[in-house]
Amino acid sequence: MKKKGSAGVAVVSPKKTRKYVIKYKSFYIMFIPVILFTLVFHYLPLFGLGYAFTEFRGIKDPEFIGLENFTRMFSSQGFLNAFGNTLKLSIVKLILNTGLAVIISLMLNEIKSLKFKKTTQTIIYLPHFMSWVVTASVFTLILSPSQEGLVNALLVNLGILDKGQEIYFLGSKKWWTPMFYVINMWKDTGWGTIIFLATLSGISPELYEAATMDGAGRWAQMRFITMPALANTIITVLILNLAKVMNLFESVFVLQNTAVIQQADVLQTYIYTQTFNSGALPNYGYTTAVGVVKSLVGCVLVLLCNYLSKKVRGRGII
Amino acid sequence: MRKRKLMCAFMATTMVASTMLAGCSNDKSSNNGTEANATQGSGTTASGTEGTDDNKAGSDVEKPEKITVMVDGTVVTKENGQAEFEKKWEELTGIDIEIIQPDHSAYYDVLGQTFAGGDWPDVVLLGSTYYAGYANEGALWDMTEAWENSELKASGRINNEELIDSLYLDGKLYGFSPARGNGCVTYVKKAWLDNVGLDAPTNYEEYLEMLDKFTNGDPDGNGIDGDTYGVSAAGLIGTEAPYVNYLPEFYQDAYSSFYQKEDGTWADGFTEDSMKEALTRLKEAYEAGYIDKETLTNKTSDCRTKFYEDKFGVFTYWAGTWATNLKTNLANNDRDDELVALEPIAELGNYLERQAPVWAITSKCENPEGVFKYFIESMLDGGDMQTLWTYGAEGTHWSTKAETILGVTYEEGQFHMLENLEKPGTAYTKNHIDPLLSIADFIDDKDPGIDQIAEEARESAEMFIENSTLVVTVPSTDVMSQYNGDLTTLKNSIIADVVTQGVSIEDAYARFEKEGGADWSQAIVDSLNELNK
Amino acid sequence: MAQEMIVKNKKKRKIKPFSVINGIIFIIICFFTIVPIWKVLIDSLDLYTSYGMRLWPKRFGLDGYITVFSNSTLYRPLLVSVITTLAGTVLGLLLSTLGGYVLIQWKMPGRNILAGLLLFTMIFSGGMIPTYLVVKNLGLTNTLLSVILLPAINVYNLVLMRNFFEGIPNALFEAAEIDGCSPFQTFYKIVLPLSKAALASIGLMFAVAYWNDYTNFKLYITNADLYNFQMKLRSLILGSDLPTALGSATENTVKNAAVMVAIIPFMFIYPFCQKYFISGINIGAVKE
Repeated sequence: MKKKGSAGVAVVSPKKTRKYVIKYKSFYIMFIPVILFTLVFHYLPLFGLGYAFTEFRGIKDPEFIGLENFTRMFSSQGFLNAFGNTLKLSIVKLILNTGLAVIISLMLNEIKSLKFKKTTQTIIYLPHFMSWVVTASVFTLILSPSQEGLVNALLVNLGILDKGQEIYFLGSKKWWTPMFYVINMWKDTGWGTIIFLATLSGISPELYEAATMDGAGRWAQMRFITMPALANTIITVLILNLAKVMNLFESVFVLQNTAVIQQADVLQTYIYTQTFNSGALPNYGYTTAVGVVKSLVGCVLVLLCNYLSKKVRGRGII
Repeated sequence: MRKRKLMCAFMATTMVASTMLAGCSNDKSSNNGTEANATQGSGTTASGTEGTDDNKAGSDVEKPEKITVMVDGTVVTKENGQAEFEKKWEELTGIDIEIIQPDHSAYYDVLGQTFAGGDWPDVVLLGSTYYAGYANEGALWDMTEAWENSELKASGRINNEELIDSLYLDGKLYGFSPARGNGCVTYVKKAWLDNVGLDAPTNYEEYLEMLDKFTNGDPDGNGIDGDTYGVSAAGLIGTEAPYVNYLPEFYQDAYSSFYQKEDGTWADGFTEDSMKEALTRLKEAYEAGYIDKETLTNKTSDCRTKFYEDKFGVFTYWAGTWATNLKTNLANNDRDDELVALEPIAELGNYLERQAPVWAITSKCENPEGVFKYFIESMLDGGDMQTLWTYGAEGTHWSTKAETILGVTYEEGQFHMLENLEKPGTAYTKNHIDPLLSIADFIDDKDPGIDQIAEEARESAEMFIENSTLVVTVPSTDVMSQYNGDLTTLKNSIIADVVTQGVSIEDAYARFEKEGGADWSQAIVDSLNELNK
Repeated sequence: MAQEMIVKNKKKRKIKPFSVINGIIFIIICFFTIVPIWKVLIDSLDLYTSYGMRLWPKRFGLDGYITVFSNSTLYRPLLVSVITTLAGTVLGLLLSTLGGYVLIQWKMPGRNILAGLLLFTMIFSGGMIPTYLVVKNLGLTNTLLSVILLPAINVYNLVLMRNFFEGIPNALFEAAEIDGCSPFQTFYKIVLPLSKAALASIGLMFAVAYWNDYTNFKLYITNADLYNFQMKLRSLILGSDLPTALGSATENTVKNAAVMVAIIPFMFIYPFCQKYFISGINIGAVKE
């Protein structure tokens, strides 16, 4: 199957290609399990994309309604608002989380005591394992506008706020978004460092030693040895995550409330409330249509960044 | 057994990673095998009930051979002795029953995909929001006739026929509730009332006075004034009908969603003056500090925790077993555990009862009359079966033997619940039907377990039943499914703005107009009134 | 701790102030990371139900943990979790390494098409119902195979793995080819041994995903006998919001203990994986 596909690309000379195909025979064989899993679990369900043009509630057969799901979607103010929020919250979060993870990885890399390093790494990655429900309830408490709220209590004790003037961080239109980023950073920065630390551990210590001999200082080493080694991973991680940028759901869902809905409604939560309050069964057609739009956005973002990466660094991530 | 085989097969695959490819193809073939089995299984169900079509709901209904049921977590779970329940059920009916119980939190996702997959169960359990939806799609069997002619209806043991009447959609009945849906009542800490020298409030003025004392005085007697507040809730407005049930004293006669007036026409309570008055009350109380500042971000579990910790004194929560629950937790926290279940204050009139989940028979069921008679009707037979659905299986969930359970000694013949298998240290409380809420009496009123129910639970339930009105399901229309999501979000946002963000009611309602809320609301009301014609 | 660090730093560098500041920064970061977890930990050890933060339990007791562990209905799910995590991680790593290895064969005809084929699935998906229908038609519903096979193919991890493989110097591959190594031999004699850090970190990602998986379980498994640990913990944590459930006297304590029990395994797994993070090969600056 793959041979057919690969023969199709041959543009130069079919003969040469055939030679290459034979040369790479074992690689095609190795790829069989991968492609098999992909076809079965990812490509077979793709027939469902067709639902985007139907009304389908899971009982009667899907009814073709053309582009109605899409026109309905884009004519709704709530959808557009949620669309914008998703892009903003998700991309800022991605940049902040990745940026912080890189900085922390670099700093961790400078720690010489192995014990201290390991302990630190383990501690900062733990929040990843608290479910969002629990995270939300703990942070609701920490940010509570009362004396129980650690942050407010601290601000009052430091004299920054007067007693009775406590800020309702999660119930305020102004504060909700920054708090959302902070909570996300708390939860996922440590987890994000794993992949960077693994990359850093691949750099040979000899390189650093040689650099030290040449009189390169810490900054020079970081700039000329560490960063280039990390760059590829950073860009790969960023672009891969862009593909999922529109899927933001659980973190927002557990943290939002009715006062900040204009700031905090994202596509997935929007669909959820739409379905929940409609009084009818969920329309999978509509959900699929929204999914298609999300995928297209992810696709554009990935291709764009991949193109930029190619332009600047001479190669993409795929 | 099958799954064990598959597990073994897979373990082997893992261990010999290099034989991965072979493993894959093996899996495939074994899957085909299981699939074939599955089809065969459902085939027998069908064939066993063939030829029943001419048997219309009458006395000689054919007994089904097997019934497949899909239920959520409100029926006894596998860990809690579902097998014994099943055994007892099969013993009583002579019918094979298959219970499919997905994870409670994913019930409607699984139900939805199961319907889409085509293997419909015979019976499903549906919450009120989904009942109308499934009925609209034609997925449910019309049980009107079966119910009207049923022995159960004729037995005279039904104590709440209005509940079944409320389930009629467009004159037809598609689902059946064996029990009321319950609702919330307001609990007040007795010791707090005593400390501030007040009696239980009977009207809004007294209610506010109580909140004021609770907020600014020292109701918990710790010597500090103002370290407590009056009332808390999880959100200013609920997410499900009846929406306004967590802060009923403030909402009073206002309703935030669609309701049917006396003359049968529909209206949106949100656009009426009563709602604006309710918002004013909420706003004033919130600004005065009577209502928990964190109401927006509270989850129900936060409210409970704060209540146990004596942060506030008035809590509107479920009637019945939760009365006991709140009491136990308070006592465990060394707090005074006496609670007064408040009768609705004068302005409120009645608490709201939510619509109960219903049992429905799917339209693909081969012998719906039989399933109705042997599964649904028998649930309330007033005898062994009703006991099974109410208290569980004898010997697993309850017993009448002389023994000591969780520190309490029972005599021979005394009905008592046994220790909960899933939550050791607590007693099993009930199966699917809450004895306090059942709509059918036992034969000769011989409910075996009624005496062992905690007094406060019974009292709060009885008080609730006496002082509640049922919230009727709003039918779904196309216009509704198109706009109500946006509309509800907008309404909730406006309520939050007015109460917590200092926005004036005029400005908020101007925004409601501007963002299309008024138009959506009118369109939905029109579409609902259209149904009446 | 910072001092110990300096002592250990026996190299002749003089930039000690940097290390000290760095150490202090991390102590602060760790402190902020721990505060929210501390709240859960203390609540899990406190028999007293309290809303606010406490430094120490008001009434210390291990009852929460005892309740969680004496619950015999948890043992079976624990076994299920171990099985799916082990099987899934091995399978997931196998697919990612094979895929990653093939994808660094830049000259292989059709390589870009295959890569595109994979990437496409990361962006477009058929949705919940179609995936369910596929799983069902394969006869995988209510078998552990569904929850093992489905997450095993993960393009994200596969591309990361490829990214690591790219760091292996080309010279090694050329040498292997000259020595007459077949691609398979190169794969397990050169690529895998040189990618310990990658295997450890991506293996960790798979293991965590499998251990924490409940989305696949709740959709494809309706037989409570096959639930994993995470499903049980979730129902413990969310459970008492059901109006029908009666919480025990220490409802809050048990919930928090369940949360801690879910975290604890990871306190030991990461240090174990880090073992493989130290041995490095010559990458980075030599390339590009």
